[in-house]
Order: sequence, then C-alpha cells, then structure tokens
Amino acid sequence: MNNKFIKCSLLIYVFIGSQPLFSQKINQSYVVETIKMPEGLTAETGAVEFFPDGRLVACFTRGEVMTYNELSKEWKLFASGLHDPLGILVVSNSEILIMQRPELTRVKDTDDDGIADVYEKVTDAFGLSGNYHEFNYGPIMDKDANLLIALNSSSGGGSIRSEVRGQINPLGREEGSKGQMFSNLPYRGWMMKLTKNGKLQPFASGFRSPNGIGFDLEGNLFATDNQGDWIGTSPLHHVKEGKFYGHPGSLVWQKDWNRGNPFLLAPEILDSMRTRAAVLFPHGIIANSPTQPICDDTGGKFGPFSGQLIIGEMNKERIVRVMLERIDGELQGACIPFLDGNGLRKGNNRMVFAPDGSLWIGQNAHGWLGDQGIQRIVYTGKKPADIYKMNLTETGFDLTFTSPLEVSSASNPENYQFRHYYYKYHNKYGSDQYDIQNVPITDIKISNDLKTISLKLAFLKPGYVYELNLGDIKTSSGEPLNNKLICYTLNKLKPSIP
Amino acid sequence: MRPSIKLFFLLSAFLSFTVVYAQSTTDSIRNIKIDALVGLQFDLIRFVVKPGEKLNLVFSNSDDMSHNLLITKPGSRLEVVNEALKLGERGPQLNYIPNSPNVLWAIPIVNPNQTRSLSFIAPKQEGVYPYVCTIPGHGMVMFGAMYVNSNGMLPDLKNDTNIPVNRRNDDASILGISHSQHRSVKTKPLHPYVPVSPYFYRVFIDGASPAAIAVSLTSDLSYCWDAGTCKLRFAWTGGFLDNSELWKGKGDVSAKVVGQVFFRDKTLFPLSFSPDKAVSKLDYKGFRLINQFPEFHYTMNGIDVFELILPTADGKGLVRIFRIPDVKNRVWFNTDSQDGVNYISSHGIWQENRFRLSANEAKKFSITMYMKEGGLR
Repeated sequence: MNNKFIKCSLLIYVFIGSQPLFSQKINQSYVVETIKMPEGLTAETGAVEFFPDGRLVACFTRGEVMTYNELSKEWKLFASGLHDPLGILVVSNSEILIMQRPELTRVKDTDDDGIADVYEKVTDAFGLSGNYHEFNYGPIMDKDANLLIALNSSSGGGSIRSEVRGQINPLGREEGSKGQMFSNLPYRGWMMKLTKNGKLQPFASGFRSPNGIGFDLEGNLFATDNQGDWIGTSPLHHVKEGKFYGHPGSLVWQKDWNRGNPFLLAPEILDSMRTRAAVLFPHGIIANSPTQPICDDTGGKFGPFSGQLIIGEMNKERIVRVMLERIDGELQGACIPFLDGNGLRKGNNRMVFAPDGSLWIGQNAHGWLGDQGIQRIVYTGKKPADIYKMNLTETGFDLTFTSPLEVSSASNPENYQFRHYYYKYHNKYGSDQYDIQNVPITDIKISNDLKTISLKLAFLKPGYVYELNLGDIKTSSGEPLNNKLICYTLNKLKPSIP
Repeated sequence: MRPSIKLFFLLSAFLSFTVVYAQSTTDSIRNIKIDALVGLQFDLIRFVVKPGEKLNLVFSNSDDMSHNLLITKPGSRLEVVNEALKLGERGPQLNYIPNSPNVLWAIPIVNPNQTRSLSFIAPKQEGVYPYVCTIPGHGMVMFGAMYVNSNGMLPDLKNDTNIPVNRRNDDASILGISHSQHRSVKTKPLHPYVPVSPYFYRVFIDGASPAAIAVSLTSDLSYCWDAGTCKLRFAWTGGFLDNSELWKGKGDVSAKVVGQVFFRDKTLFPLSFSPDKAVSKLDYKGFRLINQFPEFHYTMNGIDVFELILPTADGKGLVRIFRIPDVKNRVWFNTDSQDGVNYISSHGIWQENRFRLSANEAKKFSITMYMKEGGLR
C-alpha cells in the first residue's frame, strides 16, 4: 500500500516534473495534509492556536473565530464579528486574547454554552486611522507574563479617515509622497509591550509590516518584516527594547523626539540609528513576504531541527527554516527552505505546533498573493537529509548536516557555489542586489563523523549575504539533500581568538 | 482551423467584433498605457495594433508590490513564465526576464508608483501576442493579449481565451472585475452560518471613528455604537451592512450602510455629570452579550456606565437602557433637536433638550428613541 502510494506519487512527479512550479522533489520526511474547512467559510486565516484540551482555535478575515475537533472533524463557531483578527493567545479552554484592528480583546465564554459572550478591551491605547494597512499582530507572552504586540505602519497607497483615534502627528509622513509607508498616529510601526498592570508601552520602532512575532526557546524576541520602502529585502529582526529597525515614520513617536520629520534625515543618519536584521531573506530567492517565526519546541517530534525557527512565506508554496548563532554578542544566521510544494499551498500566514508535534498552518491572501485554508505538516519519522546548521568561522563556514555524507561528493569544492551580495538601505521600494560576486572556495575539510564540512572562502565581508548553492552531494547512504540553497547574513565577522 | 472556430469568427465578425482603432497611418507613434492594479492584474487586458505599427508602451504600477511586463511570441506565455521560474536565485538580478527566444520585448521590474516605457514596432506577423508579469506566482493570473491584425478587430470578450478568466465577463476596464466579483459575493454565503439578528461586526464605517461596532438589531433596524467615542453614533432602517469591499482587505474602504439613516448623534456626549454638558474622561471597556444583544461598558471619570440597546416592541425605534450603578450625583441625558428622533425617558425631567435625572434615577433608566416626522435633517 505504501509502496503503491510512492510509485503513484513518482508517476505524478514524472508527468508534472517538467513544470518548475511543481518540480520540488518528493519529501519523504514531511507530509502535507489539508484540513477540510466548514462550508461557507472564507478561510483567510488570521491565526491558529490550540486550546489546552487539544481543540484548534482559528480566526478568519470576516471576523469568525472557530474551533476544530480533530477526532470528530467538527468545526464550531466560538465568536464572531471581529475586525480583521490576526492573532490569538489562548488563556483557557473558554477564553482567548485576540488581536483585531481596533484593540486587543479578551473573548470569553462565561456561561459554558461554547459561544463567547464577553468581549473585553485589553488595550486600545494606540492610534487608528482607518488606513487599510494598519494591521495589528500578536499578542505573544514573554516569560514575565508581559504581552507583546506589533502595529503595522500605514500605507502610502491609502490615506487616513476624517475621524481617527489618537492625536495626528503630520511629521510621521513624508510630505507629498505617495508610496512610502507612514506613521501619523501613535505607535504605528512599533512593537508594544503591555505590562501585567495593563499599561501599553512603546518597545521598539522602525517596523513596516511586521506580520509575525515570536520567541525562541531562550526567550529571544523576533519579528519579520516585508520588503518595500526602506526594507531592501524582507528581514528577521532580533528585537530588543529601545532599538530602531529601519522604517523611519515610527520615529516621531520616540520619547523626546526632536529631529523633525524623520523622512528628511539623511539615509546615512538613519542607517547609523538602525539595528540591522539578524537574517535577511533574499527577495525572489528565499522569501518575498515572510510571516510568523515559530520555534520548534517539539523536542524532536517534528524532526531534527528542535530549537530552530520555522517561518511562513506568503508568496510561495514554501516554509522557511532559520538557524541562528551568536557572533560577537549578536544573533545572526542563515535561512534555508524547509519545505517546498509537496501539496503545501501559498499564503502561509500563521503556524502552531499541535500537541502531537505536527505543524498546523493557516493560510491567507487578503488581496495579495496567497491562499485560503488550513493545512498541517506531519513528520513521518524518516530523518531528512539536510543542512542542520551553518556556522561562521574565522575564514569561512562550517556546514553541519543531519546525516554523515558520502565523502567524494562532499569533499568536491565544485559542489559548493558561493556568491555574495548586499542590499541597500534607502527609501526606494526594495533594493537590487549589489556587488554580486562569486566567492571561491580555497579549502575544504570533512569532519571525522562525516557530518561537518569546513569551507574556507577567498574572502568574507560583513554586511553581505552569503548565498550557497550545493551541488549533487549525497549522504553516506546515497540519499540526495532536501535543500540545496542556503543564505547566511553576515553582519559581523567572527572575532579571532588570540 | 476547425470549421466550428471558423464559423465562430465569421459570426463574430458580424455580431460582436469590436473595432478598437481606426487609424489611417502607421507613421505616428501610438501610446499604449498599461497599469498594474491591486490583485495581480493589468488594467488593460487586451488591445489591438496593426502589423508594423510604431508603439510606445507605458507601464505604470498602482499596486503595492513590484511587477514586470514581458511580451512573448504567440502561444508561449506559459513557457516564458516557467522559464522565468527556472531562473531561481538569479531571478531578482535578471528582473525575472529569461534569456529566451520566446521573449520579444520586456519591461524590467517596475516598483509601486513608478513608470517605465518601451518603444517597439509591432510584429509584421499577425497573431495574438501575450503580455505577462513573470514574477514568480504572478504569471498564471497576471497577463493580457496584444492582438496584431490589420482589420483592428477583437473576438467577443466572453470567449476570449487569451485573457484571464475573471476578466471575460465585462468590458476591459477594472469595472468589469468589481462587477463580476460583486455578483459572486451575493451568491456565496457570507459565513459558515446564517447570521440571525441580533449580531454585530466591528468595521470601518463612515460617520464613526475607526473603532466602530455595527449591530443588526432586527433585519430592518441597525445601529452603530462607537468604541472610539463611547457612544451611539447613528441608527438606520432598511437593512444592515454590505461588507464585500471591506473584506477584500486591500485599499481604504468602508462597510456600506444598507438602508436609511434616521438618527445621528449630534451631542458632545449624551451623558453629563454636570449642568454645563462638559465631556467627562471616557474609557471604553468592552461589551457582554445579553440574549445576543451587546451591553456596552465604559467609564466616565472612572464611574462605570453600561448601555444596552434593544429594539422597541414595534421594531421601529431604539430602547437604550443605561445603568450607572455607582453614580452619586445628578446625571443629564443630552439630545439635539436636529438628530432625527423623539425621546421618551423612563425617569427624569425634560428641560431644554435634556433629561435631568437624580442620582437614584440614574442608577438604571431607559431612553426610547422614535423616528421624527420628517426624519433626520
């Protein structure tokens, strides 16, 4: 039966294999399953989470919050009428926090009929102009029980309504500009912290469209952002309190800001103020619209990448994986496709690990490129042949694989094609790749356990992305690699040990 | 060509061919404008030129993502789209323009609110030349067709397989799209359940702050309570909301009121704790559903206020039940003679368009609002 299935899949692969859209090879380590959605639901998914009792809870563009019992395959309505909900934090089996346009709301079922009857404001202490791009993200809870939310900047493709919530500051928008995102109302473009006593405080600024925030196992806070003005290519930021992450409009809401319209500051000044991204997702190569970073906390139930970050992508049938390391005190690292195709759809907006360790994915489009519905990815238990991690050395990179490699293919320098390039920080929409150069390998070593390849590069430059394309490398059991493309964001060189 | 197709073209020539141009000379340069719109589409999905005509194609981008435009040999759109995909990580630096004999002309990536143009001479060979955006994911839906022929004719739009399916219903303008989508919104269910009044939507709606709550009390009676200003803003009869534009999610749009507004609040604030109508410090707290009707909760100068709005028994007016359990002093309920309704209060004394209530009366009272003769001015 299993064999038959695989044969059948291979046959399909042969037929459609000539079309690159579907040409990803069959991944035998992860299987994509599609969840049947209730009839009549426009399943543009804003969030997916799990209740302690194991039910899934999901919210959708038209304001529905629904629960799903996997055993009975039954969908039930929990709440409705919300405005563009894009985040859920589960409190108990009958209570959730939900981030919608106007506020963070506590939604509760207090009479145990399975339907919410209380919609309490948790916070609405931020500006709201009615601009279509003012999406709100989160909440997520830190280890001290503070909540974090992120507020999208407003779109230059839209405007602000005649009646707004909050005090308008005209300096948060470039005069006469049409394209650039802006921040005319308090804290658009900020990540905010809601303290346990209910006070909403500005936390970090410079975000354009941070459609995804999350923690890793150590409690480091991350946010993705979307390529556009001031964002040369989409980044993953390691977010720290008080830092500025590059999009200028939000700066007007910085405490004691006295430098006028931030769009009028020289790019070099803004550049010196900003904190660079921990990881860049090269546009058109790794991701065009990354979403939620979720840390694999399944302890191996989801495969060998425990502790690493998994990140959704809207524009492709792809999920991305990120591996980080601390260099000279700061996190930086590499991104690699985790899963391409194999039945996965586009629009991978929100993710959550189920109690059984499978990864559930809510899909969305919302007028952009994307999809609808919910899928889940199940680890089959067959260890993927893949790069486990990529580490910077003083002279190049160490690549560690999930399995021992076949020596002759792994020690052939031809099988490691490096190039580097950088992206400009400027007000233009996105950035080209600059100074694209192939980087020759000057030395190659393989570890005793045949799992780690040490590559020496002809040169290493900070501020560049190092893109590596692997050739036909196989594991010692003859298996080809799942992914052959990985991009390392080199912010800092590894300090030499004296 | 199969006979049926021949017949179709012949028939179409009489019935529905559209003469798109009637130029007498090919010496002048003709401008063609194509704009990229929200939703992975070109505004112009087809046009017709003469063989050898001099053309200047101006490509603008009104979308908020980047696009390119490639003109391909007849019949090779999908092939070019796939060739662009195969560029892989080299796609961005090549503007997703594959080095292919199938690509006749190409306009590199145009970012939002930018414009690029291309001058070229139309092919001598008559035919249908596709144009397409080859950014990965775009090419399957974002395309159009340049018809090159000397008779200046186009096939019937409904049967034109050279343009995207969703653009075959109407004329070549963007209106065609919104019409067809509008139709489909009406036939598709709005939700996985049938909404039964009372129910609510939090929406952007004109006449309120962006933190509005719209409530359908009955199928014929609705109101908008504004969490941004803690008050009932307006009420209407005749239906509820059309959210079809709002739910698309992209672009500044509002929920549309279906029906006729009969009340619009014109006070600074309907409740005062002092005779001078001064507005207290307001803080919205939320609402709970009582038999599915929302009871709103906010504070005025820190004092809890609850407002539950029900339809009158005849369904033609609103009953607003206020509770201010901890109030210690007099309360005034303010109205405006121009707000479209008559008022009846369960308690208090009517004086200069206001009800004055004692602290005890204000702990719980109701205000009934009926449409005035002549309605809202």
